[in-house]
Amino acid sequence: MIPADPALAQWPAALVLGPVLAAVAAFIWPRAGAVVGLGASAATLAGALALALQIHDSGPIRTVPGGWDAPLGIAMYADGLAALLLVMTAGVGTAVALATAGAGPRQGTFFWPLWLLLLGGLNGLYLAADAFNLYITLEIVGLAAVGLTALSGTPESVRAALTYLLAGLMGSLLFLLGVALLYSAHGRVDFAGLATATAAGPAVSAALVAMLVGLALKTAIVPLHVWLPAAHANATPPASALLSALVIKGSLYAAMRLWLAVFDPAAALGTLMGLLGAGAIVWGSVQALRAPRLKLVVAYSTLAQVGLILLAFAVAGDDAAAVAWRGAVYLMLAHAVAKAAMFLAVGRIVAAVGHDDLDRLAEARVRPGPAQFAFALAAVSLIGLPPSGGFVGKWLLLEGSIAAGTWPWAAVIAAATLLSAAYMTRVLAQFFRTDGVPGGEIVRPGWTRADAVPLALALAALGLGIAAAGPLALLAPVPASGVTP
Amino acid sequence: MNAAWLAFDALLLAGILGVAWAAMAPGDAFRAIVMFMVMGLLVALAWVRLRAPDVALAEAAVGSGVTGALFLRTWHALPREAGRASEATAARPAAPRRLRLAAFGLAATLTGLLVAALASLDGTAPGLGDAVAARLAQSGVSNPVTAVLLNFRAYDTLLEVVVLLAAVVVVWSLDARPAPRPVPARGPIFLGFARLALPVTVLAAGYLLWLGAFAPGGAFQAGALLAAVGIVLLLGGLYRPGSGDRRRARLAFGLGLAGFAGAGALTLGLEGAMLRYPPAAAKTWILAIEAVLTLSIAATLAGLFLGERSAPARTGGERP
Amino acid sequence: MTTATALLYGLGGALLAGMALYRLVTAADWLRRIVAVNVLAVGVASILIATAYRGPAAPADPVPHAFVLTGIVVLVSTSAVALALIRLLHARDENHHDSR
Repeated sequence: MIPADPALAQWPAALVLGPVLAAVAAFIWPRAGAVVGLGASAATLAGALALALQIHDSGPIRTVPGGWDAPLGIAMYADGLAALLLVMTAGVGTAVALATAGAGPRQGTFFWPLWLLLLGGLNGLYLAADAFNLYITLEIVGLAAVGLTALSGTPESVRAALTYLLAGLMGSLLFLLGVALLYSAHGRVDFAGLATATAAGPAVSAALVAMLVGLALKTAIVPLHVWLPAAHANATPPASALLSALVIKGSLYAAMRLWLAVFDPAAALGTLMGLLGAGAIVWGSVQALRAPRLKLVVAYSTLAQVGLILLAFAVAGDDAAAVAWRGAVYLMLAHAVAKAAMFLAVGRIVAAVGHDDLDRLAEARVRPGPAQFAFALAAVSLIGLPPSGGFVGKWLLLEGSIAAGTWPWAAVIAAATLLSAAYMTRVLAQFFRTDGVPGGEIVRPGWTRADAVPLALALAALGLGIAAAGPLALLAPVPASGVTP
Repeated sequence: MNAAWLAFDALLLAGILGVAWAAMAPGDAFRAIVMFMVMGLLVALAWVRLRAPDVALAEAAVGSGVTGALFLRTWHALPREAGRASEATAARPAAPRRLRLAAFGLAATLTGLLVAALASLDGTAPGLGDAVAARLAQSGVSNPVTAVLLNFRAYDTLLEVVVLLAAVVVVWSLDARPAPRPVPARGPIFLGFARLALPVTVLAAGYLLWLGAFAPGGAFQAGALLAAVGIVLLLGGLYRPGSGDRRRARLAFGLGLAGFAGAGALTLGLEGAMLRYPPAAAKTWILAIEAVLTLSIAATLAGLFLGERSAPARTGGERP
Repeated sequence: MTTATALLYGLGGALLAGMALYRLVTAADWLRRIVAVNVLAVGVASILIATAYRGPAAPADPVPHAFVLTGIVVLVSTSAVALALIRLLHARDENHHDSR
């Protein structure tokens, strides 16, 4: 599995170091920020695609960036799951970067180093095969995300960033506690070694609980979600897009990887995760139905989507239901693309209308048609209507729950679809209502360059439903033996 | 087991717990911060008892020193006048009873779980100590912690430097309206102190760096000392930053990462794997990387403390 | 945990963690919360170092020491960001008060 070709062996490390070094450059020479940022994002996308193709052809890649192999040293592992998420991060990120670069200098020069640090950190996270290494990448991602949250400078965003930072810090400390317990129980922290270690006692169970709770704090799993609505709703549109689409997936992936590759969790714990997921679906959807602001609706819908993905933990008990895991990952992918499209579209709407107060949207004279269209398309994927990536993900999840004979979870999935249709319809209705407009005159601005990226992303979300074969082929070995590094 | 040492440990632990409780108590924030710093030093002492002198040095310098300085800087910037409530230090009434009960429940659960986990460990997992000892000769240094940080698990240390960089990027990205920074009274005592202590501290930092190869010490501890020198110079007005200094500071922040990555690229070319040092010259490589890291860490810690722009101190009403 | 010393300090770390969690939840202001988080981290670190102890004669396991060292640096970075945000929050509040 360690490739003989040395260039290929260092590819994973380059995906981490490249963006980070570009971040240094963007920080030292702020005026070149956009150029460096776009270039590095595009290069990372190319690298991630190349890696994905390589893995598709010849199987997972395991490299050792430091010259010393685990357990003493650190290994990096890239399988289909990691590769898919790497491509997702780089792809969505490059799109958001394009939108930001096109929007002009309003974002400020700090967006670029923060985004590039986030990219490098996420890449490191997806490629990690060592628990302590995973901890450090979680920290990088957390700090960069806090920076993006506070970028808009408003008091609400600063408060939200502080709350997010505290929650993330608590999560990291709990995760570190788990790593400490694992090391004291097994004497090593590499995933491969931990998976085969036989000692399982109170220390290992405590480690599992600590790490899951810590990651739940970072992923905003209800009831540990309090920081998310304020953080995502008060950030600038590109920052919100990155936070909801990409940052959340990092800690969620970490939980998934630990669940599948390291620990052997009891079925009851899976059911608990599923119950938490169901709670998140209900809570997120209800709050989205009640939210006064458009951005809050989109933020709450992220909570609900995370809940939906959590159902896979409960459903996928045995191999027959393993397809549920593939559904969960596909949902992550589809959600990332659609949510980024949605937040960018909302940004365009707010820029055109001047506010994001849902009740007053019907009275707005300006109707930014292309942005609203992009929003609607993204909503199709988030609700899970065919043909969209969201539909494919939900379908696989449903298939898994039926195969496992767990009908209650199938009902929850159906309920999630109905609820998301409800709150999305609430928003779309405001777009189409014109009765409140004073004087009845409506201005429909035409296409602008800034509408291109949200629309492209929304179309991509639909495309994921049509061209699902490629990504699913990468995920084929999940979750069987192909997941353990 | 020596009963006297056990008594000492018990006393030290009691002291740590007591001081820690005082450090988190509501009330005078200045007192709490000082208690926190004292706790850090006592904890460092405890870790020396546990045969972890490198970490004890780092806790004393970074965990207690730099963190305490950051706390004091923040405390200085917050309002202290009575009747001026602000979000950050609003004098709210003591937490409601239900919250305290819930908090106690959470805390007891955490401690209970930890105690149960620790009690269940019977030391059968040998850990990686033997593996490190077996390969220590090849690592180029004889301090095992330095060997782990800079050789065996160098990739982790690289990412740690990225964390430092991310922090300074975020701190510098926050608003340009700076909080006033404290200014020491520049009398003969301060100047005399600076004239004596600063050069000695620079020497001590260099010594710690060189020492790290074979005794407790290393880049992070040395970097913290150097950062202290930089902070005193800038706070005391002994060095006034010029116009190009902000760009130079950013360069310094990135220097550590660039140096580390550059070393990685070079070793990739020479040895075929990133950060696999040529065995004969491993010590030189490690020291060179650590030297660059020390400078960068010092700059980064100072940058975290001072921020990008610092306003002059508020006039009048200085705190004692 | 084979020695009394290690057990003692390990328990101490667990107690520190519990105390810090209690204070974290009941804290009155942000500054106190960040102090509590730092104490919590010290508790976790003490546990790690206690498990690395191999007795007064043998050298300790250096890998947990490396973990703790890294953790200390990560914590100071995060604390610095948190404190900068707190200062900014105060400055904004001041702005609000001044402009009213």
